[in-house]
Amino acid sequence: MDLLEYQAKELFRHICIPVLPSQKIDHPREIKSLEIPYPVVLKSQVPTGGRARAGGIKFVENTIDAIAAAQTIFRLPIMGEYPEVLLAEARYNVQQELYLAVALDYSLRRPVLLGSPKGGIDLDLVMKHLQQVIVEQEFSSFYARRLAMKMGLQGNLIQSVSAIIEKMFDLFLEKDLDLVEINPLGVSPSGELMALDGKITVNDAALARHPDLLVLAEKVNLHSNGNKGKSNGFWGLDGNIGVICNGSGLAMATLDLLYQTGGKPFGCINLGENRLPEDRSCSFSTFLQKSLEIACHQNGIKVLLINIMDGLDSCQEIADVIVSFTQNDAGGYPHFVVRLVGSNLEAAKERLAAVGITLLEQLDEAVARAVSLAKPMGKRPSSN
Amino acid sequence: MKLSPEDKVLIQGINEPLAAIHAVRMKAYGTNVVAGVSPGEGGQALDGIPIFDLVEQAVSEVGAIDTTIIFVPPYLALDAALEAIAANIHQIIIITQGVPPLDMVSLLRKAEATNTLVVGPNSLGIIVPEKVLLGTYPVEFYTHGSVGIISRSGTLTSEVALELMKAELGQSICVSIGSDSIIGSSLWEWLKILNEDKSTKAIALVSQINDGIEETAAQYIKEKIEKPVVAYIAGRLGPARKRQLHASDLIVSLPILGTDPESTENIIATFRQAKIPIADRPSQVPELVKKALKIKP
Repeated sequence: MDLLEYQAKELFRHICIPVLPSQKIDHPREIKSLEIPYPVVLKSQVPTGGRARAGGIKFVENTIDAIAAAQTIFRLPIMGEYPEVLLAEARYNVQQELYLAVALDYSLRRPVLLGSPKGGIDLDLVMKHLQQVIVEQEFSSFYARRLAMKMGLQGNLIQSVSAIIEKMFDLFLEKDLDLVEINPLGVSPSGELMALDGKITVNDAALARHPDLLVLAEKVNLHSNGNKGKSNGFWGLDGNIGVICNGSGLAMATLDLLYQTGGKPFGCINLGENRLPEDRSCSFSTFLQKSLEIACHQNGIKVLLINIMDGLDSCQEIADVIVSFTQNDAGGYPHFVVRLVGSNLEAAKERLAAVGITLLEQLDEAVARAVSLAKPMGKRPSSN
Repeated sequence: MKLSPEDKVLIQGINEPLAAIHAVRMKAYGTNVVAGVSPGEGGQALDGIPIFDLVEQAVSEVGAIDTTIIFVPPYLALDAALEAIAANIHQIIIITQGVPPLDMVSLLRKAEATNTLVVGPNSLGIIVPEKVLLGTYPVEFYTHGSVGIISRSGTLTSEVALELMKAELGQSICVSIGSDSIIGSSLWEWLKILNEDKSTKAIALVSQINDGIEETAAQYIKEKIEKPVVAYIAGRLGPARKRQLHASDLIVSLPILGTDPESTENIIATFRQAKIPIADRPSQVPELVKKALKIKP
């Protein structure tokens, strides 16, 4: 997840990466109490790139212009995201703009240092001159100097830019980040450096061991409504078949099969693999039951395909959860198509048959049945 | 690779609920589970498996250990693996899901320096059907035979194994290399291992549209692998999800959430070019394997 610029800059300030004096603006009227002298830059705080081109960054010379600009920016969505906060920052006179980043390369399985002597909003230009240094072993300063040299820096800039890269790397390691990026790093006519924009991507898997980042992350989540559901991309699609599955691979395979057979998925709930069986802390049946509730309260779902391959719970136990759900729920639930394999299959079949649900063992068959029931001419659920 | 029933196996985090269940299952399957580790619970036992506080204590008590299977919580996985390496264990399987990527970077550096094989994290482990179970596979879907399975997925591996079993094609070795974004042993390493394994006649590759490793894998298979390889790749038709574009995205490979139709096409095309048959659905894998092995249907 990406932090907002002002959050990234607060982290930069802590580790002495130079940033400009700035102020957070929650409402256009706060512009009047601005403590930074004009001219000022107002920046939309949305967790996405491309703000400058979208009009989310404005330069203002006085209060009247600033209020108007702030109102405009608050009303401007960038990639579907509205800002909750603006950042007002002093202007900075630069002679040169650099691009710097520390990122985790998932293919190389190593951190990499990235740098371009042409920083700024023209990403094509950044890319054209982008240099990379792979941090093969334990980090040491020479990796940073190696990048500075590759970027073609000379004189004092070699050491001063390397020092910034080192600090970025320290932050990257200490906070378990996926990315620390400064674009641009401004170089003043006197050779001073200033981080003019910052981007930090936190790693979701490591977030829980960084309480300070958790606090920041909560703010981002509150801010961006557009982010809702992003973590579960397989939900709210345009189809009418819901899927409950265990395992992400099986979920993808099931969705593929539905598409191939001419069906249209609404979405998929993944119960996960390597999980605990019955009567343990996070019980499978509770999770399954909750998933059934979620799926059945979606208006768009006409057919619910339950596809569970499990070695720990018997099919009968899974069938029992489904049966008791259909008995307790006041009706109006979608067609159920259940595909189970594993132990106690016959008992599971009987139990489901008693409430009018057919259990299928073959995945292809279950998919075909779900698709045919989801077609417009498919039967409505019967009264039982 | 040491994958015989005699090889000694350790379970780290044996007090974890998932480990407790699977340690017993592994033992029942014939795996030589010699010890468990759970700090603070040394001296106890689980189903006759002695528990120790430290890995080195287990080693001094039961002798050199061939494989350790790690079930500890994600933030303790790096430490558990380093403890195993310090005790000269050269095969590590991490079942735990959600190990922080930078922990994996540190671990893999150490593993490379010590010639240690790391499987996972977020893996079902390894199964040699009807011989050895090193992980959490539902064993009823696996039978002994000559098809090796390499999978980046968990349950999907079982789906493919079940289809193979129905077609009377058993498996030689199945490995789930892990579904986390940074994993230890790669597709390539396992292709090489199965290519050299005498009991394996064909290889089934089970993957999900992921981070582009499939593309390079196709080339590798074409050049280096003599045995027939059949692939099934899930997620080909899933919804495309938008990604934010940032400069670093263009050069650094970050995990891609969702599918990008263009890259999906590319992956399929590279497999076709490398003449690797791709199954449209899991149930088509046996047919393609039989064709590749020239077994009449």
